[in-house]
Amino acid sequence: MNKTMLNRVRLIFVIVIGIFILLSARLAYLQIVQHDYYLYRSENNRFTTIDLVAPRGEIYDRDGEILVTNRPGYVVSLMDLGDGYDADTIAFLSEVLEIEEEEIRSAIDGQLYMRYLPLRLKSDITPEVIARIAENRWKLKGVNLEVHPIRDYRVGSTAAHILGYMSQGTIGDQDTLERWAEAGYEYEPGALVGQTGIERSWQPWLCGRDGEQRIEINNLGQLVNYYERKDPVPGHNLYLTLDLELQRIVEDIIARHLEAIRAKGKNPDARRAAAVVMDPHSGAILAMVSYPSFDLNRITQDYAELVAMNPSPLPNLALQGTFPIGSTFKMVTATAALEEGKLGAYDISYCPGTITLANDTKSCFNKRAHGALNFYSALAVSCNIYFYRAGLAAGIDALSHYAREYGFGSPTGLTDVPGEVAGVVASREYKAAVTGGEQWYPAETMSAAIGQSYNSFTPLQLANYAAIIANGGIHYRPYLVQKVVDSEGNVVQDRAPEALRRAEIGEKTLSIVREGMRRVTQPGGTGYYRFSHLPVTVAGKTGSAETGDNREPHSLFTGYAPYEDPEIVVAVVVECGGLGEEAAVPIAAEIMEYYFTGTIKGVLDSDADAGPPADQEF
Amino acid sequence: MPMLDRRLIKNFDFYLLLLVLTLCVVGTVTLYSATHIMEELADPLYYVRRQLLVTCCGLVAMLIVCFIDYINFQNWSRYLYLGSIALLALVLVMGSVRKGSMRVIPIGFFDLQPSEIAKFVLIVMLAKLLADREGHFHSLQDLVPSLLATALPMGLILLQPDLGTALVFLAILAGMFYVAGVKKREMLILAATVLVAAPLAWFFVLHDYQKMRLMVFLNPGMDPTGTGLQLLQSMIGIGSGGLFGKGLFESTQARLRFLPEHHTDFIFSVFGEEMGFIGAVALLLLFFLLIYRILWIATHAKDQFGALICVGVAVMFTFQILVNIGMTISVMPVTGIPLPFISYGNNAMIVNLLSIGLVLNVGMRRHKIQF
Repeated sequence: MNKTMLNRVRLIFVIVIGIFILLSARLAYLQIVQHDYYLYRSENNRFTTIDLVAPRGEIYDRDGEILVTNRPGYVVSLMDLGDGYDADTIAFLSEVLEIEEEEIRSAIDGQLYMRYLPLRLKSDITPEVIARIAENRWKLKGVNLEVHPIRDYRVGSTAAHILGYMSQGTIGDQDTLERWAEAGYEYEPGALVGQTGIERSWQPWLCGRDGEQRIEINNLGQLVNYYERKDPVPGHNLYLTLDLELQRIVEDIIARHLEAIRAKGKNPDARRAAAVVMDPHSGAILAMVSYPSFDLNRITQDYAELVAMNPSPLPNLALQGTFPIGSTFKMVTATAALEEGKLGAYDISYCPGTITLANDTKSCFNKRAHGALNFYSALAVSCNIYFYRAGLAAGIDALSHYAREYGFGSPTGLTDVPGEVAGVVASREYKAAVTGGEQWYPAETMSAAIGQSYNSFTPLQLANYAAIIANGGIHYRPYLVQKVVDSEGNVVQDRAPEALRRAEIGEKTLSIVREGMRRVTQPGGTGYYRFSHLPVTVAGKTGSAETGDNREPHSLFTGYAPYEDPEIVVAVVVECGGLGEEAAVPIAAEIMEYYFTGTIKGVLDSDADAGPPADQEF
Repeated sequence: MPMLDRRLIKNFDFYLLLLVLTLCVVGTVTLYSATHIMEELADPLYYVRRQLLVTCCGLVAMLIVCFIDYINFQNWSRYLYLGSIALLALVLVMGSVRKGSMRVIPIGFFDLQPSEIAKFVLIVMLAKLLADREGHFHSLQDLVPSLLATALPMGLILLQPDLGTALVFLAILAGMFYVAGVKKREMLILAATVLVAAPLAWFFVLHDYQKMRLMVFLNPGMDPTGTGLQLLQSMIGIGSGGLFGKGLFESTQARLRFLPEHHTDFIFSVFGEEMGFIGAVALLLLFFLLIYRILWIATHAKDQFGALICVGVAVMFTFQILVNIGMTISVMPVTGIPLPFISYGNNAMIVNLLSIGLVLNVGMRRHKIQF
């Protein structure tokens, strides 16, 4: 080999050395310098986790009757078993499940590298569809019937507003998120969570803790191997203060009465009502009804329609609906006048039927002259003129002060379901705020004294008011959840009554008010006719509140029984139900009758038609 | 049949043989690692069995080639050449498609891949054509026969299309021209011609998938699901191997099929992932010693023909190692060039072993026989 050739071979050898150095250097960079990065990428390639959904806690009534549970629902899913998706199978599923083939295919495409997850096509399928799939199983490739917990509201539309429903919708308010976080639940967008009622307020306890399964996947995202598993922790079960039987009865009573009222054609607007039955010595709610209701099991299908209805049945009227409360306010007026020393219980006042007070001409119902009255007889017959005078004597400031003492104008403190509203107490300040500084006139004090003017309260506040009177001035926090029990049966929480505050009202005044309320159900009282046949003495107050438009007045009742040793408070509001006697009073009477006797003989509707003297009511 | 001279035995390069055998063993083990977990295989040893069989045949053929004085190839070269051209033409007519291009002629259980054979034949052919000139290259005209001899098989291979293998031809041609004594001026003119031809090739010769691969090489972020993904997964495999590797048979990238072509073109990724930097550099060292040995024999060959054969073989291996390993670590664009002795490929294995046989042959007869 000559010299030139040798040199040229040497140069080639030098190039070869260069090439090997280049490759080694690059390898050193990838395998040493960037090792951590690529190791991470490699682990990320092959591991992923599947969420294991925790069973949601169940909800029971006070006697352990089941209200909400989970039932197995069949979900049809399609899985890539390693050789892609089968066209015949897709065609079959498309037909059986009534989903366009296109839709299935685009869902498959959308799955990309998540093929380890079964592709859920339809949940909660009917038994017919299950049968068709099962029959054809032999020729279907990669089709699963997975069992999934589906929320099962055993009681359908009963207590729907209290129990609430779930969806994947967004959580509007920051408050809820913060409260959930405080209770140890971190909301992730897209999660299925309670939207209303107990499902929402108790979400952190009900939801449990989801588990995780770490899996190894291949390049197509197909499952290769199982690794560590963290089992899900089931949610806590809740035992409510609610009495399912009573709740059902109250709902039935309301429905029956409202249908009858509408059937008579006089009150076409009597479409909504609310009732609260509560223990005055604890605040425990035994029944809380917002009528009309809706079926929780059909909420996803019906939701759009329910929202569009006017009025929509979705809000919980018992704590979100506010109404002027008419004559049921008169205990506030009396309390104000008595506490301020402007009135003695036996002071006689004369009712002429029509009178001009504070430059305003006012009348009693049907301009009937009640004649000489003291406080007891005035409350029993619900004489307006008596309470106009009492209101004027006490003054608006005292009226609004004692209204607040009775818990009006701010939420009663029920937190087991969301959304309680404050209502409005008529006051100088409120008028100034909403009218841009207009002053208060004495004539308005007279309206306020009989529960009109700006006064607007929730049925729950109405019940709480009667409870404060009945128990001697204690404002207990109303509550619905009595006991929280974990999935192993340990009691996590057992609620004791929570006295929020004591109303600053003298015991003497309260006992006068109680006696006045008792007289309402005694001979001559506005409630006598309906309550006379009960085995217990009822203390209460009827009311009809003007709506401010041309509709029939709202019909109201609030009271408690037995008078001597109060067990329950009952408050009823029927929107545009007419006079108290026409709707709220018979409803409340039947509730009490059921509670104390276990049956409802009631006063037959035909008798009710005959009714008490029409001019006695207000 | 000439007597096997003792001197021939004495000059037999056992060192080179040992290197080749070592590479074959490394290749077989790596191939086993890359393929035994392939679920689609009824027989997990399918690839390993075939490759072992072919390797044994190749080793026997290599030894047989050693007995035939390579001088004879000078006379046989034109027939070998015509035969390889015929096969390349045949593959275009009746070849069967593998991964989008026509590269093989199926013969029973064996797929004949004429382009691999053509590489070996071209080396012999060029060695004869260039040696005949005994270093006299006065003008471009003197290069025309060699250029034509290279252009014909290259053109046929580009028609398949198989750009990678065609580029191997170009590398072989350049290396052999240079060592044969082609003057720098001519070398530069030819290099300039290639550079001018490259843009034309972009528009008229290259297929879309080839352009794509080149563009992805220049910009690895694009096409993250196709070629870009291959590249990325290959680098993840090698990079995650680290200094010591994940251990033999522990490649998750191959087992979970993140890495495509993990038993053929991308087998080095599996090796790099399992054996780490130390293993990869050791393999590079084996290759380096192989090339060194071949070039050493080239410089000691008794004639130009022998020396040029060795240079051709050395350039062929070097180029394939550079392009194949370079591709897996993203210093070269993705092309379908296998890694000698390691990638699964029956034709390549036989041809590589035959090439080594020829080099051994040149080494055995490195001194003129003294009378």
